[in-house]
Amino acid sequence: MIRLTLAFLALAPALALSAPAAAQLRIDITSGTEQPMPIAIPAFPTNAAVETPAGNTAELGRQVADVISGNLAGSGLFKPLSRGAFAAPAVADVTAPQFGSFRTAAAQALATGTVTANPDGTLTIGCYLYDVFSEEQLVRQGFTVTPAGWRRAAHKCSDLVYSRLTGETGYFDSRIVYVAESGPKTKRVKRLAVMDQDGANHRFLTSGQSLVLMPRFSPASETISYMSFAGDQPRVWIYSLGTGRQEAVGTFDSMSFAGRFSPDGRTLVFSVTRAGNSDIYSYDIGSKTTRRLTSGNSIDTSPSFSPDGRRIVFESDRGGAQQLYVMSADGGNAQRISFGDGRAGSPVWSPRGDLIAFTRMQGGKFRIAVIRPDGSGERLLTDSWQDESPSWAPNGRVILFSRTERGGRSSLRSIDLTGRNDRRIPTPLEASDPSWGPLLK
Amino acid sequence: MTEGRAILLAAGLHLALLLALSLGLSSQMARFDSEPDVTPVEFVQISDMAQVTEPPRPSMEAAPREAGPPAPAEMVAPVPPTPVPPAPPEPQVKAADTAPQDAIADEVKKPAPPKVAPQKAKPKENFDAGSMAALIDKSKPDAPMKPRDTSQFAKTIEQALPKQSRLSSIQAATLEQAIRAQIAPCWNPPIGGADVAGMTAILRIRLNRDGTVSTPPEFVSQTGATAGNQAYARAFVETARRAVLRCAPLDLPDDLYSHWREFELNFDPRLMT
Repeated sequence: MIRLTLAFLALAPALALSAPAAAQLRIDITSGTEQPMPIAIPAFPTNAAVETPAGNTAELGRQVADVISGNLAGSGLFKPLSRGAFAAPAVADVTAPQFGSFRTAAAQALATGTVTANPDGTLTIGCYLYDVFSEEQLVRQGFTVTPAGWRRAAHKCSDLVYSRLTGETGYFDSRIVYVAESGPKTKRVKRLAVMDQDGANHRFLTSGQSLVLMPRFSPASETISYMSFAGDQPRVWIYSLGTGRQEAVGTFDSMSFAGRFSPDGRTLVFSVTRAGNSDIYSYDIGSKTTRRLTSGNSIDTSPSFSPDGRRIVFESDRGGAQQLYVMSADGGNAQRISFGDGRAGSPVWSPRGDLIAFTRMQGGKFRIAVIRPDGSGERLLTDSWQDESPSWAPNGRVILFSRTERGGRSSLRSIDLTGRNDRRIPTPLEASDPSWGPLLK
Repeated sequence: MTEGRAILLAAGLHLALLLALSLGLSSQMARFDSEPDVTPVEFVQISDMAQVTEPPRPSMEAAPREAGPPAPAEMVAPVPPTPVPPAPPEPQVKAADTAPQDAIADEVKKPAPPKVAPQKAKPKENFDAGSMAALIDKSKPDAPMKPRDTSQFAKTIEQALPKQSRLSSIQAATLEQAIRAQIAPCWNPPIGGADVAGMTAILRIRLNRDGTVSTPPEFVSQTGATAGNQAYARAFVETARRAVLRCAPLDLPDDLYSHWREFELNFDPRLMT
């Protein structure tokens, strides 16, 4: 009893002390807006307007700012302000901005920089980011490129701004591979095509003579795997963008479907179908050896590695209908993770590891959804007629997919993982089966 | 007879088709190799150029033109990572990452002294209003430097506070609502981040009587920050700070100024995720 009293007495001052702090007002702000952040991106000034193979540096300064504006607006998280709303900065203003003008324009951040033509024929694009309210320089970096490569410098600058303001890595300096489609339904021509994430620098990789499907970027390198019916033998091929070289993966007496690379790019997982039974195999690119990971009578397909390379998510009908399963990378211990109405297919593990994107098929619709690797937190992101083939941006924030309208037209779209900002990615022809490549080095 | 012929014909056609297709394959493969567009030179060259690690040259050139003294300091401070010229771009990215971490660390350290200060300040103010003048007069000369006596002092004041100097629950609720209603629309939290769950930040806000910010919002504490999400944690705190600066001046009841002169905001986007 005495001890208790003593203990209480000892505590009393502490309790009393905490009281004044509690008396101070503390208010919880539990919600905010989800408005895109207004950001000023003036044309990048140049200290001397010089003609380059890519155009005049003054004009390039405008184009660089346009590319950055397009990227940031495309993310849905930023709202680049009209350039008429603030004074155009001179070169000296880039390192010491007149914040008043931008504050008046209601900008919260200022992304600016300079374009300089170097004597060796290269361009240096300096990139600066400021907080308009605190008037602090948040980050800056310079990029030296060939004049022809100015867009990459603009993408790098966009990534710098995006990552500094959101705290997530960027995704703008990256490319997309997909299947370009043309011609009538009965005689469809499908060609592999690759382009920058914003649709620029578009190129076809194959002629369209043979059917190609399911191109997949390696997360580690400039390598694409895809499925081709060349030679009337549907097989997985690996295509190296750097060298243009391609090779067939294994030789199976039956159909094999394009798979996905491991995070280190050394292994490819895919499925092989024999007499109505489909199993998952892994292929070691270095040693060219193949290993079977699943067995049984079910259809196991669409494997995708976790970013740590330890697990694989895939779809299987072993439980009756097509659902998602997660197993270890050596093929053991498969656990079902998707439940509920309808079927679930084409899973892709997010590069950031926290989510798996997939196609949810229910009520006659195909919709893009995400689920946690433990099977919790399933969310539908899109609501259209036929959305499928999800692929993650390299930062695991945005999902690329293909949408087919009831009329049959197909196009590429992207959506933020919050389910907002559903936008079309411009392609010259109809498009399907996209795969987002890694951030370029 | 006719059946046999048909089979032969079919076999022949299949063979022809196979031949055609395999020829098609070889011509396609040749196409792959010979297609110059497939390997764009610019990308290789660009990635080479992009590895230049020097801090942006334009800034260095622009710096001398500025007459203002702060510019050189600004230039010098972030430059340290001027390493070996041919280093890859990663070091720079890391340098950028570490610098802000330091900044956060500084911010975390900072709150300690101010915490004491406001506590002292407040009791004094209350004391002026109350009837404890004698006690203060007594304690001050007695123990001007001893922290223990000061705490004792604070305790006594808290106990003896006249009830009128505190906010009534209605006043408190009204004030809270007014502040929340003005700050929330200005807060743009980064809710799509992988680590948004459980992330909160507390800032201490000090306002002038006209509702303007008297000192920049001060970082008090944060939850949910880990070694792996420093960049995100920092960006999170910055959105909170920006919300306050963006919304100021706040329009709050003048008669309650002593209560909103200084307060804390706990930014917690749990209702948004």
